[in-house]
Amino acid sequence: MRLALLWNVSSTEARKRMSYRTDFWINSLGGIAVNFSVYWFLAHALFAASGASTLGGYTPRGMVLYYVFAILMGRMVQSTEMEMGTSQDIYDGSLSRYLLYPVSYPAVKYAEQVGALAPQMIQMTLFGAVAPFLVGIPQEVHITPASVAMSLASLAVANLLHYLLLLPIQEVAFWAENVWSLVVAERFVMSLLGGLLLPLDLFPDWARQVLYWLPFPYLYSVPVRTLMGRVTVTEWATGLVIATLWCGVAAALGRLVWRRGDLQYTGVGL
Amino acid sequence: MIRYLRLYGCFLRFSFSRAMEFRVDFFFRVLMDVVWNLVNLGFFWVLYQHTSMLGGWTFDQMLVFAGGMFVFDAINMTVFSNNMWGLPLAINKGELDYHLTRPVSPLFFLSLREFAANSFVNLLVACGILTWTLARYPDPLGARRILVFLGLLLVGVSLHYALQMMFFIPTFWMHASSGLREIFWAMEQYTTRPYGIFTGWLRRVLVTILPFALVVSFPTRALFEGLTAGLLLHMAAVTLAAFVAMKLLWNAGLRAYSSASS
Repeated sequence: MRLALLWNVSSTEARKRMSYRTDFWINSLGGIAVNFSVYWFLAHALFAASGASTLGGYTPRGMVLYYVFAILMGRMVQSTEMEMGTSQDIYDGSLSRYLLYPVSYPAVKYAEQVGALAPQMIQMTLFGAVAPFLVGIPQEVHITPASVAMSLASLAVANLLHYLLLLPIQEVAFWAENVWSLVVAERFVMSLLGGLLLPLDLFPDWARQVLYWLPFPYLYSVPVRTLMGRVTVTEWATGLVIATLWCGVAAALGRLVWRRGDLQYTGVGL
Repeated sequence: MIRYLRLYGCFLRFSFSRAMEFRVDFFFRVLMDVVWNLVNLGFFWVLYQHTSMLGGWTFDQMLVFAGGMFVFDAINMTVFSNNMWGLPLAINKGELDYHLTRPVSPLFFLSLREFAANSFVNLLVACGILTWTLARYPDPLGARRILVFLGLLLVGVSLHYALQMMFFIPTFWMHASSGLREIFWAMEQYTTRPYGIFTGWLRRVLVTILPFALVVSFPTRALFEGLTAGLLLHMAAVTLAAFVAMKLLWNAGLRAYSSASS
């Protein structure tokens, strides 16, 4: 019954997201084209200036392909993060409505987030299938059915991890009026340390060794590198375990903050 | 003019008193902006681990560019951003009615009403970073060049405002604004990356039709290469054209606006 409810929440959200078609296509074509152009020129300028044929193990084409996948998979990981659903519900009292549901509030919100992925899923499938042929597949990239499957598993964990990492921050709304700035600040950190702005292979060794134990690389870098065949099965499995452990830590922290905040929540009406 | 200045003074007083009511948010906003600055410095630092030049600029020059970018962003966030984010909502909910009936320009009111007092602190931080990048620059730049740089940066801020408005005004016709808003935010990367990395047709587009490169990159270029008549004319002409286009679009939008109230 609970799974059916979550499925309904998810599919309703998906239909809602797909209802603004013009907006969807402007966002898809325009946003991706702009991001792609910035990274394409950045990668080529970097290689031209350094005079190197490979940087961090990437050829210019390989780095462009990394960015293409990072843009597309990044949208899948982030989903509706900027909409501040949880903090808004706490702030304006909409949370009261969810308290009547027979499932936990974070589960309902996560089901909504998964449903809201529908447009991004279409974008990723369409552009992700075409991109390797447009950009070309360099020798250091090995996309196989196995790497695609492994990457999708990493992507699913990354989406959950992203949601759980932002949850405790959003729950600060129990005490503060507006936590938008905190969420955006965390997103900036995730973008740089997660490998969305730059492949983490460009970071110095010491920085990569530190990052390995943090949750950030498992958001963007690991799913993309897995898809590109740059991660062994052992590395991938270890990464999944570390990411899952971070999910547990973030969920526990979210639960702790929720319990404390819930005690002082006051909702008026439904 | 004096009436508008007096009105803006009221906006400032109201914004500061409101910011003091939400003190925690005040500090969160400062934290967010500081993190954004650090992430950008980190981004350029990692890139320069692999090269000594990027887009024609050394690391020291890139730091000055980043400092200018932080000042531009802080002014934009303080003066315009809150107003821009609220504009599509005001259009869709029919809240424009309140502004259209007032005896002041609705464009002035909607663009400047909310002064983000909490971002004002970041403007001080950004100015501090810019001063640091200029002070550590190995060659003498001269006070005149720095003043020209700061002046052009202000022109860049106003140009960015006009561009931003042109991406939000279509809400009058499209109603859903998130697509254009996201494209604009994506395009802001053209502002926050040195224009020297762009080549060919895109570089031409970025200094004419979508002049994002003029916002910070051109002032920085004037700082290092000196201000030429061509560069000054270029910036002035493009900024003027952007404002004329924005005003025409705004007027057309107002004609298409259908009030939500009776």
